[in-house]
Amino acid sequence: MAQMWITMGPQHPMTHGLWTLRVKVDGETVVDTDAELGYIHRGVEKIAEARDFTQITPYCDRLCYVSAMTWANSYIYAAEDLLEVEVPERAEYIRLISAECQRLASHLMWLGAYGPDIGSLTLMTWCMRDREMFLDLLQELGGSRMHYNYPRVGGVKRDIPVGFADRLIAKIKLFEKRIEEYEMMLDESTIWLVRLQGVGYAKAEDMVNAGVSGPNIRAAGVNYDVRWAHPYSVYDQVDWEPAVEKPTSVKGADCYDRYRVRMEEMRQSCRMILDAIEKIPGGKNTNYASGDAMILAKAPTRAPEGATGFSNYECTRGASQFYIKGGGDGRGKNPYRLSIRSPMFITIPYVAKTMIGYKVADIPAIMGSFDPCIGETDR
Amino acid sequence: MGMRITNEQAETAAATLVASVMDRYGGADVVATVEHHSNDFKMPFVRIHVPPQHWIALAKTLRFDLGVNYCSMVTGTHFPEGGDDRGWDVVYHFLRQPVSNQKPHTNTVHVAEKLSGRDVPLEVEVLITLPQTDIPSVPSVQSIWVGADWNEKETWDLVGIKFEGHENMHRVLNPHDSPEGFHPLQKQHKIRYHDFNEMYDDAQGFGRKPTDEGRVK
Repeated sequence: MAQMWITMGPQHPMTHGLWTLRVKVDGETVVDTDAELGYIHRGVEKIAEARDFTQITPYCDRLCYVSAMTWANSYIYAAEDLLEVEVPERAEYIRLISAECQRLASHLMWLGAYGPDIGSLTLMTWCMRDREMFLDLLQELGGSRMHYNYPRVGGVKRDIPVGFADRLIAKIKLFEKRIEEYEMMLDESTIWLVRLQGVGYAKAEDMVNAGVSGPNIRAAGVNYDVRWAHPYSVYDQVDWEPAVEKPTSVKGADCYDRYRVRMEEMRQSCRMILDAIEKIPGGKNTNYASGDAMILAKAPTRAPEGATGFSNYECTRGASQFYIKGGGDGRGKNPYRLSIRSPMFITIPYVAKTMIGYKVADIPAIMGSFDPCIGETDR
Repeated sequence: MGMRITNEQAETAAATLVASVMDRYGGADVVATVEHHSNDFKMPFVRIHVPPQHWIALAKTLRFDLGVNYCSMVTGTHFPEGGDDRGWDVVYHFLRQPVSNQKPHTNTVHVAEKLSGRDVPLEVEVLITLPQTDIPSVPSVQSIWVGADWNEKETWDLVGIKFEGHENMHRVLNPHDSPEGFHPLQKQHKIRYHDFNEMYDDAQGFGRKPTDEGRVK
């Protein structure tokens, strides 16, 4: 039979955003693929060269609109490395709690979007319902629903509101039960298992060589996690362990493993948040004024030429990294160069190649299981 | 309870890697040092300055002898006012990750404090400085780390660093029909400021004129 190229995207439900997957098919079998990115390239790296270090944070929020808090934090750690700032411990705890809330919201968005890919539209409505709980919590901190602009160089914008801790604990405890509901619905659904098991195999070493990171690596059976391997924040002080799966095949992790590892990661985030809110220095029900030394350290605003800052951060989709060179604007007020490493930019071309050999109908299942996000990919 | 790599572990791992690099390339203008981050835990990392002609050899040593298995990012920077010796630089960031293929129904659960030797995660930064030139070029390491492939594509696309030997180089973030030689992160391309009322009156920008010459950055 003749082979032909089919274009999936940029407007295709499988893409979870705007990009094009070109597929060469032989009947129903995928024989070659090619990814085309860049549809929503906004030039954040260039814009950042004309902004000072505080003004860059909102742009980093918008890198990924599904996990804004983790991206803003990721940038802030690089800026703090550049400007040599020591962060108060209470601020680190608040950042940890906010980042893990964001991780829950992001994984729920992933699960909600993955459900319709597989054919389970109910999942979308359930996940959106639960995600709203965490967006509400983050809104209390940052003041807006999706883009918070919350972390600052040296701490956080404002303290956790009075009563926030109680609402947080109640919602997390509720959500822990909801995870079980999801598992009851999905792990016993024949359609879910048939579509996910035995497709999209990826080996651990292949993925590391190709630059894939985060939950996708842990699904392949190794508990490598930036949060302990390149430590930041206070993850060594709270109770958690990296989620890790046991893949069932020599061919590595399949889509089902990647789904399982994210469910486990949500459990670990809940565990972490419940522990952190009890241990937070200064108490969970006190509220410090904005700019108090407990939540915001004084930070310089200029970085000399030759200074560099680097952060390696466990974002919801893998390791996000920022590399900043100081000394822009003649007086060091702006970065001379800001470079962003997006985990999905590297992962999407790799995933496109792993589809070779599977059926066309498996493409949404494989692509969705890696959790693509185009906002961060195209920057 | 949470765990983390301690500073001593990372310190030892970094010193070992620096020693092996210097042992082998010390006479060839390669300078490897242990540096420290200035935030949080002051974690050490390895910084290697390498001239472009020795980069491929060093890359192979890093990848196959020293276990640096993860190419995470490539950054190109343009220094139009950097003098004759430093017109561009290319920074590679690598990680060493203790990840291996697993047998079916098994997994590896590392305990951070117990890792030693080659298993300790480590961060390596490789700096290549290029002289002032119109066509900056460094050898591609696409064949050594698959992860360098799209990173190098992006760096060429945005900054214009030419990676010699890179197969299938094409635009990734800019439109595919961008003019040849257009690389927006080069410093001759300026960012314009617009007044807020200019944005309100003409949100689409159809009538916008470049009247802000004096304020161009």
